[in-house]
Amino acid sequence: MKRIAVMVGFLWSVGVAMTTAGSSEGVPYAKVTDMLYQVMSANREIYTRVVVQRLTVDEEVLIASEHFEDDAGLPLPSQMFRFVAEEVLDNTEDFSYSLLSLHPINKKNGPATDLERQGLEHVADNPGENFYGEEELGGERYFSAVYPDYAVVEACVQCHNNHKDSPRRDLSVDDVMGGVVIRIPMD
Amino acid sequence: MFGRLLKLVLAVTLLGAVYMAVTMTVGGDRRMLLIGQTTHAHHQLEMACETCHGSSIFADAEVAEKTLNKNCRKCHENELKAAKDSHSRKRFRNPRMAEYWDRLDARRCTTCHIEHRPEITRASAVTVAMDYCVACHSKGEQDIRTTRASHAGLGFETCATAGCHNFHDNRALFEDFLLGHAGQPEPARPVVHGLAARYRARPVSTDKALKPGDAIAPSAALAVPNVLEHWADSGHARAGVNCTGCHATDLAEDAPKTQALAHWIDVPPMNVCMACHKPQAKTFVMGRHGMRQHPGIAKPRNAQRSLARLGLSQVMPVSMSRWLSDPAVPAWMTVGEARLPMRADADPALAIDCGSCHGEHALDTTRAEVEACASCHDDLHTRSYFDSPHHMLWKLERAGEAPPGSGVSCASCHMSKLEHRGQVRTTHNQNDNLRPNEKMIRSVCLDCHSLGFSLDALADPGLIRKNFTGKPGVHVQSIDWAIARSRSNPDAPEN
Repeated sequence: MKRIAVMVGFLWSVGVAMTTAGSSEGVPYAKVTDMLYQVMSANREIYTRVVVQRLTVDEEVLIASEHFEDDAGLPLPSQMFRFVAEEVLDNTEDFSYSLLSLHPINKKNGPATDLERQGLEHVADNPGENFYGEEELGGERYFSAVYPDYAVVEACVQCHNNHKDSPRRDLSVDDVMGGVVIRIPMD
Repeated sequence: MFGRLLKLVLAVTLLGAVYMAVTMTVGGDRRMLLIGQTTHAHHQLEMACETCHGSSIFADAEVAEKTLNKNCRKCHENELKAAKDSHSRKRFRNPRMAEYWDRLDARRCTTCHIEHRPEITRASAVTVAMDYCVACHSKGEQDIRTTRASHAGLGFETCATAGCHNFHDNRALFEDFLLGHAGQPEPARPVVHGLAARYRARPVSTDKALKPGDAIAPSAALAVPNVLEHWADSGHARAGVNCTGCHATDLAEDAPKTQALAHWIDVPPMNVCMACHKPQAKTFVMGRHGMRQHPGIAKPRNAQRSLARLGLSQVMPVSMSRWLSDPAVPAWMTVGEARLPMRADADPALAIDCGSCHGEHALDTTRAEVEACASCHDDLHTRSYFDSPHHMLWKLERAGEAPPGSGVSCASCHMSKLEHRGQVRTTHNQNDNLRPNEKMIRSVCLDCHSLGFSLDALADPGLIRKNFTGKPGVHVQSIDWAIARSRSNPDAPEN
């Protein structure tokens, strides 16, 4: 929980600093979302490598599980990512982000807007590229950016290919599994 | 004649308008202004309007509603977090969910729970039609009727009423949990509930134990019938807590006995209990019995300050501002204020505090687990308990014919045992596992029953009224459907 709080605090402060700069001093929205993504991506990689990989594979003292509380294990990296994203939403409306996929295990993580679908298709079809656009949601204008989310280790692939609710079971390491969508209100 | 009547009507109307304006802006009892009966939890605090309505009376509707919802969360947020809220506000705050805001705005509690509307208030204070799931789960990829074969012909009014789903709390209802408990037989009796066993078998004496002769109290107090005997047989005496521990709390521990009288209080306030029994007190004020002590309840408005804000402090005499004071929320709920059926012989003036269930000196936790409840509550479920298998097990345990932890009291289910850092404690917040009743499955039912039996039993209102005497008359198909779906997917891993 403390770790979540630290991550939230860090993300929030970076987000506030960046969006403030973006609106008042002309830093392009894409630059702001790129920087936010760097923080998110680094946090995720560190959690995966230093916490999950070390404790579950290298030292084999814990398991990582979708039902981590019942199993007394660690949250999966994707769960941790979403927990922090929701915690950020509890604290600020200055930006929001989500981990989505065209082939989500949980349907609620599929594309919900036209831009999300377009962006997820773009990053899947154009490896290495990001997607940027604008959309109106709930009467507000948003700058939205989509970044590819790769299967970085074998565990990602195994879990997605074997999960009973997974609609896609042919993933390999380095495949684009989905994308991170970051939004900043423009008004 | 008509003119005089008209003047009278105008005068009364004017007086009424002045009264309303004064009570709304300065102070005074506002309960006559309630627009409808409050729900049967909030009615205990309806004199403290600001507990919920925290915004200025001149605030616009949007601000007022936001404040209202913020105040809902102030008291209920921890409960929702503990429930792993399936439709959490923060999830729906994401702008990607904007499409759903117009269907059923899950960012606001008031979308589904509106106070003061008894004519449309259903179980769990829900004020929308019970087919509310249709708003979001009937379209596109969220259309549950097309994505789950078992759900094809089901009506949306059954989602949350048939024992299958809840809007917030699905801790015992999600598919993997169902599959993980599928096929479990009912355990052989007697089943021992580990935490209850540890609690009931806890040490009965310590090296600090006090005897009747050790009691430090005025002779008049010691002369009250039964008091000394009750104390000497209590957990307090066994733990070395003398009379002065409660009746003279500011007496130094090593002070001579003769000073006890000078510090003596005949009726110690409840915060004396709460000072030592902090975990119990913390949960007590979150439950129905003790919620009037909840820290989230607004303090009465200060009439003098309100007058000053309106620039009237100089023209209004102090005595007038005293007359305009808000009624304070009483310290405790009384039996007479209960909305649930109470026994005719229960004292309506009895305040529900620690002593009303535990006794002031006996501190009898056994009585508090059953007899104390039944001395006030008078519904069919309570009355049926005494003929139920649960009570039979309780009697056997009390008689020493069954192991500690095998008996089932009222408190076993409604004030269950929790473990915190190795210590067993009793939650005094009934809401932890009261409604929806599936909240009870993990914390209580599964200690002694299979998940299948628990789901069926909790979905049978008749069986609940009979306090589970008999077999469930309904069958919840959740586990069957989860198994069928699992088998229909050959690629799925085994659970």
